[in-house]
This record gives sequence, C-alpha cells and structure tokens, in this order.
Amino acid sequence: MENPIKNRSYDALVIGAGIAGGEAALNLANTGYKVLLLDKELSVGGKMIMLSKVFPTLDCAACITTPKVSEISRHPNITIFTGSEVGNIRKLSDNEFVAKVTRKPRYVHIEDCTACQLCEKACPVNVRDQYQFGLIGRKAAFIPFSIASPKAADIDIDNCTLCGACERACPTNCIDFTMETEILELHVKTVLIATGFNLFDPMNIPRYGYGKYKNIITAQQMERELAPTRPFNTILRPGDGKVPDKIAYVLCVGSRDASVGNPICSQICCMYSIKQAQLLMGALPMADVTIYYINIRSFGKGFEEFYQQAKGMGVNFVKGKIGRISEKENGNLMLRYEDINEGKLQEAEHDMVILSTGVLPNSGIDKLFENEKLTLDQFSFVGQSDMLASPAKTSIEGVFVAGTATGPMDIPDSILSAGAASSEAISYLIQHA
Amino acid sequence: MKKKKIGVYICHCGGNISDYVDVEKVRRAVEDEDIVFLAKTTMFACSDSNQREMVEDIKTNDLDGVVVASCSPKLHLLTFRNVSLRADLNKYTYVHANIREQASWAHSDNKIGATEKAIHLVKAAIAKSRYADALETNKVKAIKSVAVIGAGVAGMKAAISLSDKECDVILIEKESFVGGRVAQWDSLSTTTETGKEIVSRLYNDLIKRENITILTNSEVVENKGSVGNISLKIKKVPRYIGGSCHPEDLKRAIEVCPVEVPDEFNFRLTARKAIYKNYPSEYPQTPVIDIKNCTRCGACEKVCPAINFSEKDEILEFSVGSVLMATGFDSYTPTYGEFGYATSDNVITLPQFKRLIDTQHDKLVYKGKEIKNIAYIYCVGSRQTDGENTYCSRNCCTSTIHAALTAKNKFSDINNYHFNRGLRTYGKQEILYADSLRSGDIYLQSYEDGLPTVTVEGKKTIVKINDILSNGREIEVEADLVVLVTGMVPRADNTIGSLFKIPKGRDKFYNEVHMKLRPVETVIDGITIAGTCQGPKNIAESVNSALSAATKSYSILSKGELETDPLVATIDPEKCTWCGACEAACPFDSILKVEKDGKTIAEINNTVCKGCGMCAPVCEPDAINLIACSSAEIMSMIDALV
Repeated sequence: MENPIKNRSYDALVIGAGIAGGEAALNLANTGYKVLLLDKELSVGGKMIMLSKVFPTLDCAACITTPKVSEISRHPNITIFTGSEVGNIRKLSDNEFVAKVTRKPRYVHIEDCTACQLCEKACPVNVRDQYQFGLIGRKAAFIPFSIASPKAADIDIDNCTLCGACERACPTNCIDFTMETEILELHVKTVLIATGFNLFDPMNIPRYGYGKYKNIITAQQMERELAPTRPFNTILRPGDGKVPDKIAYVLCVGSRDASVGNPICSQICCMYSIKQAQLLMGALPMADVTIYYINIRSFGKGFEEFYQQAKGMGVNFVKGKIGRISEKENGNLMLRYEDINEGKLQEAEHDMVILSTGVLPNSGIDKLFENEKLTLDQFSFVGQSDMLASPAKTSIEGVFVAGTATGPMDIPDSILSAGAASSEAISYLIQHA
Repeated sequence: MKKKKIGVYICHCGGNISDYVDVEKVRRAVEDEDIVFLAKTTMFACSDSNQREMVEDIKTNDLDGVVVASCSPKLHLLTFRNVSLRADLNKYTYVHANIREQASWAHSDNKIGATEKAIHLVKAAIAKSRYADALETNKVKAIKSVAVIGAGVAGMKAAISLSDKECDVILIEKESFVGGRVAQWDSLSTTTETGKEIVSRLYNDLIKRENITILTNSEVVENKGSVGNISLKIKKVPRYIGGSCHPEDLKRAIEVCPVEVPDEFNFRLTARKAIYKNYPSEYPQTPVIDIKNCTRCGACEKVCPAINFSEKDEILEFSVGSVLMATGFDSYTPTYGEFGYATSDNVITLPQFKRLIDTQHDKLVYKGKEIKNIAYIYCVGSRQTDGENTYCSRNCCTSTIHAALTAKNKFSDINNYHFNRGLRTYGKQEILYADSLRSGDIYLQSYEDGLPTVTVEGKKTIVKINDILSNGREIEVEADLVVLVTGMVPRADNTIGSLFKIPKGRDKFYNEVHMKLRPVETVIDGITIAGTCQGPKNIAESVNSALSAATKSYSILSKGELETDPLVATIDPEKCTWCGACEAACPFDSILKVEKDGKTIAEINNTVCKGCGMCAPVCEPDAINLIACSSAEIMSMIDALV
C-alpha cells in the first residue's frame, strides 16, 4: 500500500526490499514501529522473487516470496517506495538520521492501475527486458512481471517515444506524463542496509565467449527459463531456439579467481547449479547435464543430501575448471578443461552452456552516508564491526546491515541475518527512545 | 446443516502441483458439488494478486467459506485463514487441502493416480467445509518472560536481546559455568578476540541486567502448561562452595584434592581435580565441586572455610510465556579404530588439536614427542556413506585450516598435510584456504570411495592416500600427529528435548518448521530453537539464529495476551460417567475431574488441550468430540475419500 506522504518521519529506514529487507521490515513493523521500506527497482522481492525453485527443498520461489511480499504490502506500519533511491544520510544524533529520498516517476498513478496490460499491447517500442535478464523483449510501457508488487505499469521514459498510445489505451486514465521526480527529506531513528548483491558479469572473462556465442547464458537467465512465469514455453537455447540435450554448467565464473578481482567463494553457485540441474533433468528427461566444478560446496542443512540426490538422478559431475570455450558452426560449444580424474586436457562438446556466475558487492553503499563513515570490508561488502558477536552492526552506531550486503549468503542465512539485524535495530530503538 | 456457498481454489503451485496433477480436471470434478459456488485454478494461490481476488470473490458473492487445495498447511494455513479474516469471515471457516506433498510430490511417477487422489482430497475438504463453522479463539494471558535453555553464545545473545525488549529472561545452564563451546576455544578466525574473551564480554553485559536471572548447575525437570503460560520446575545442584571465598584458600583446596578425573573441558587432554574451575576468567567466578567424583575425604574443607557440603539441591519454579532452546552440539567421537583413533598413540580429534595449539608455546609437543608433520583427515563423522551422519558439518574445513595456519605461525617447522574430500571454505573463508596454500600446506584429495588409511609401522604412523589431484598417485606421509577433523553432532543427552517433545530432523538435530518461512520455530507452540542445536553453524551464524529466535519468542508474548486455536476436545457432560480413561490417555495433563450439578465428570482445560485426540477413542460412552474434527466431519470426509 503506497501511503500518501503526509508523515515524513519514520522509526526505521530499510534500504532494499529484497527478502532480507522485507523480513527485517516485517519484524520491525510487527513490533509496532513505523518503517519506510525503499527499493530502487519497480517491485519488492529482490532477486528471490525472480527465481524458479529454491534449494534444497525445491519449494517454488514465488510461493514463498509472494505471501511475504503480500504481508509487507498490506502492513499498516510499512510504507513502501519503489523506484526510489536514498542518499546523503546524515546522523544528527543518537536517534536521528536525516536522509534524502529521490522518487523517480512511474508516469502511472499506481492506485488506479489495474495491471490490465492494455498499455503494453499498445506501445510500439521494444527493448530488452531486464526482468527476464535480456532473454526476451518488453515494451516501454510495461508491467515489470506478473507477480510484481505493486502490480502496476511503469513507463520507461528513457526508451519511450512519447507517442501517447498507452495513454489512449488506458481504461482508467492513470497514465500521467506530467509526473515529476520527487525529492523528500526524511527523518528516521535507525537505518537498516539490505541492499543485496550484484552478479558477476561474465563479459569480464572473454575466453568464455559470453555475449559472443549465443548459446552461452548465465544461471540467472536459466533461472527464468525454469521459472513458472517463464518467457518461453520450454527450455531452449537462445541461438536457434533448439531444445538442448547436452547441457554444461561452468562453476566458479568470477569466483575464487583473483585474476578478475574476486578471490572469495560465492557460496550459493554450487547449490543453485545443482538445483537447476535437477530441474532440467525433470523438464528434459532425455537431456544430459554435466557440472564442471573445482569443489562442490554443499555445506548447509540438507545440502549434501541434495547433492547426492542429483548424482542419483544422473547429473554428471566432472572435476575440472573450464579454461576456454569455443564455438562450432552449428552453435554447439567446445569446452576445454583439465580433467582432474583423467589427469589430462580434454575437450567436451555441449549444445548449451550455463555460466554459474558469482556474487559481487553492490557498489556505492558507503557513499550513501554523508557525515559518518560506513566502513567496507576488504572485499567491498558492508563491513561488520563486531563480526562474531553482533554480525548486524556496522561502523556507524544506529546503522545495521542484513543479508547479502555483507557478503555471499543463501536465502535461509539471509533471513536469519535479517532477523538479527531487526533485533539489533529494535534494541537500539528501545535504548534511544 | 445450512446450505453453504463456498469457493474452491486449486493451485498450480508454479508447476509443483500442476506438473503432475491435472488441476483443471480437479476443478471440473468438484465444481458441481452442491455447496461449491465457484471453483478456480490459480498459478500461485498465495500470491498477493490471488489473495486479493479471493477477498473480492468472497465479498462479491457473499461466500460462507473457502477451500484452497495447494501445498502443506505448514506453509500457508495461516495465510489463507487471514484471507478469510480480511473478507470478514471467521478464520475457522477456512479449510485446507494438501495436494502437493500428499498428491503431486508423493506420486510424481503416476500422474493419473495423483490427479485422482487430488480430486478425492479436495472433495474431502469440501465435505469438511460443510461443518466448518465460526469459532472463537481462546484468549490466554501471555507472561512476558522467556526461558532460555543453554548459556552458550547463542543463549547469552538471545537473553540480551530479550532483555533489551524489556522481557524477563530465565537463563538456564546445565553446566557449572557459562560459555558453552566457544569458551573452549581461544584463537578464532577473523578476529584477534579469543573465544573466552567473547564469552566474558557477553557475560559482563548479562550480569548488569536486572531482568535476566542466570541459573548454572540447573536443569529443567518438569514442564506443564502451554504457550503463554508454561510452568517449569528447575533442579539446581549445589556448588558446595559458599559465596565469599578467598582465592588463595581456593587454590590450596584445589591443590590438596586427591581426586583426578579426565578434563572434559580440555577434551580429555589433561586431568582436573574434583574441585575445579576450567580457566581463571570463567564465569560465574566461584569454582565448583564435582560431587559425582568427589570422595568426601575432607581435605579441601580443612583449607577453605567456604566449602559447605551441607548445601542441598534446590527446586525452583518459574512461569514463562515461551521457551528458547539453545542447547548446542557435541563433537563427533570417532569409533574405536576409526583412522587409528584410540588404537594409535598419536591420533587426536580437531577439538583436541585446537586446545593443544592454544595451550602450548614455542614447541608443539604431544605425549612427549615434538610435532613437525601433521596429517589432517577431513570429514570424520560427516558425509558418511555407511553411517548415519550423511550431512556436512559446515565449518570444520574452515576451522581446521585456521588451526593449521595458527600452528604453522606459532611453532617452528610445522608441515601440514590435508587429506580431504574437497574443501568447503565457503564465502569469504576461501581466503584462509588461499593463505594456507601460499604458506606451503599440502592438499591431498580423495572421494568417499577412496578414503585415506592410517597404519602404524613400528614407531611410525603412516597416512596413505591415492591422491586424485596427482592422477591417483599413491602418496604417504609419516605423521607425528594425526588430526581427525570431527564434525558436529546433536547432543547425546536428549533429556531436555524429550521433556519438551521437540521433533528432530533427518540429521537428528532439532527440526525447524520451514527453513525459509519459519526457520526458528518448532511445531510445538512457544518453543523456538537457536544456534547449533538446529544444525551446524559457526559463531556469527549462531548469533544470527539466536537473535532471530529471540525476536520470534518475544513477538508471541509482546501483546500480553495471545490467541490459541479453539481446536480442542469437548466432553458432553450428559454422556460422561467419569471413568478416568481420558485423563490417563492425555499426554498433556489437560483433563480435570470436576463436580458439576452433583455429578463427577471430566472437564477439558481449553488452554492446555492441544486437540491431539488421544482421549476420544478411549471414551466408552463416546462423550468426547474434537472441535473441527468431530466424528460426523471425519465420517463425511472418509465418504468423500473412498
């Protein structure tokens, strides 16, 4: 529910409305505090809402995320600003922070939009859909995705040609090109950083051929192909639309790799690759799926069993880091690697390759704070000032951090970290009441 | 029965159901049932847009109730009850059918069968719906007090968090001292603070808080009641040492004590006396007498006037609103002969190794021998292929590499040989692995079918492996010390778990309701779990889990009262003839013998009754019925199912 901005002061500002931010906001709101939950994207739900199924239980991601998202959007103590960014956060005293919030206009009055999609049909402009990670296109007037919250249209003004077709098509007249950027000054008592992570861009490893060879995609893109709200009716390779039957996963793309500036392990890629492999075996029973790995990190509750389950299903696990990928005329790919078990260099042919890209920090979070220094750790994630005994505390008192903003984490860990961050924030609010 | 109008929603569950169950066929099969006004299929019943649609449908069509056929009620029973509430219906008119776990997932090899079963399950839910009437919840007073069981790092952090929220805390610790496992560790990864220093820091915060009562040497022996009002009986065993005790006297008392037992705190590497403290800065600061091993010789009494053997066990009673379990873990003990354990002279476990390197300086010595070559064998007691512990213990890889590096930096000429099955230094911990490689540590790897062997040849201990990293070459290391990297296992002593009836998962750790939706709750209302009793974790992860559990425990009680489901048993006073059979059958002691209108009958205590139904079948005059599970309802469901 987007509240009209009468009240410009809140108890807590939560930056980022993914699952960590959402969970923290709910905890604070259920305790009675007024929360402003902010996200730069058009919808709440972060990365989790775009996933297909989650490991190791194979619950459908949407089934778990949407009820939480629903609870957040209905909660009387939570105000949600999507398409918004925050900056210039100044700490005035122990229980007062002032922040500048910039709300980008959607050019649509959300409260009147019924998500009927008539504007989408009318719009003549086609651009790559960032919510489907570039697999298909979308219009410049569009609903972000079917389970978005708020489920309302947005006009991508950068690509809009101002033809007015959407305005004419809209049955409730909620499209309004006169809407402007709003800048607000907000006063809050505590700040919670839940800004999430970025995925490594495999264009930074040219020898893998991503972007050059059409049948190489990222795991995030495959996630969309597997999701129930998928862009295509089947699993296919983008080069020619063929249904693949010899699929390869390349692990540690951009992780454990000092040569691209990321020496750490991204923690989730082994598991999400094994998960996708299982889903592929289910969707394409005749297909062969091979995972090329260095070490399989299946360390959490139920993870090792999930890994053994994948082996049992017939997923091939080959120990060997892929050195180079080249393309054949038919669009198939040749993967070159040192096969550790065989002890020699091999070349394997696959018709589709999925790169399991790593987790990188979201940049610029320290720049959000003006008069106090938010320390980052050596990997540029948000620094934790008391990492073992109070993992949610940052270098600024009254500012807490949750989820993958601190480093790679899977969903259960992010949720627990959000529980801890909200607990610390609540303690802080009580102490400085 | 009045004629009802209900809505039926059959969920695709994003494919989880619709991949195996033909949901459209189910819809057609039920839409003509007499009370079904509308039947729809939906991609995600729990989604915001579908929930809104359900509210619309109920209001527009004046429906009396809804049935959703979707996943397990564990996930979304409450979600859909709340939908009914938002549409101004009583939430108990909602009926749920599980066609995911019970149909689609259980019969994924038989789509036709799964669809048929789903049809019957939904028809049964519709049958139940005929009886699903409005019910009033029971309101019970919620005591704003939480019992935290276990004063390790997780328990102490939870206690601090609850205390901040102005909630009373009873922190109950079975051992004589607080600190749990972390107090047994000195050097830790990522910080210069030792484990003992962290424990001291937390304890010093706790002790200042008036709303926390710390009880050591204490165990819960009895519990009664249910969430909101749980009565606990706690047995506190004496320390036998009075409060004001001069440290010099105490030192003498420890010296003169003739009894020596293996020191569990030091993982049996050393011995301790029957009167002891584990380490000087331990809390509480008073030492304790281990009465089980004490011979009552009286030597200590002679030198220390504060010693008092007439102290008795105390039974303390507390009433709390909820319980937070933070009982921690045990370390795996290798079996006799496992990689030479107990049969070879120089095979120890990882916890023992950590104590060894923390307590020694200059030279690393074990059983009189100076240690240079150390062989670490990973995954001992974890990832077992022929044992029960199939899980990965999560942080032993990191812990071992950290210990190996610490040893290398602290002592001279240490050579580390890591016999592993693939390193799991996940996340930022990867840096330790890189550091270890750079420092010259050797890594040798096998799969689970080619484990290393430990043999003793004369005075030498040889660890041998077919190393897959060098193409299966057989490599052997003459090790001065073999360290078995043992993982975490659930506590062997499950007394407290049995007392509270906490269910365990496949890996035998306490089971959470749902890893993502409800990660710190158990199926027992009012009992939350924190830290390693739920599964292997490192310190930061335990703290996150403890704070989440504290928030959850508190949120149940924060309003001062809570609503309990009225799905309890009822006794028809006309039919009851008081035979006592139901009282004997009830596992929760919720049945009372009362006098009513000159007749002795049984009565149910609604706040304690869990609606388990154990009483109903033993009642001869058939005077007992369960609300929302009455005989009439069950019979009509059975008719629909067969």
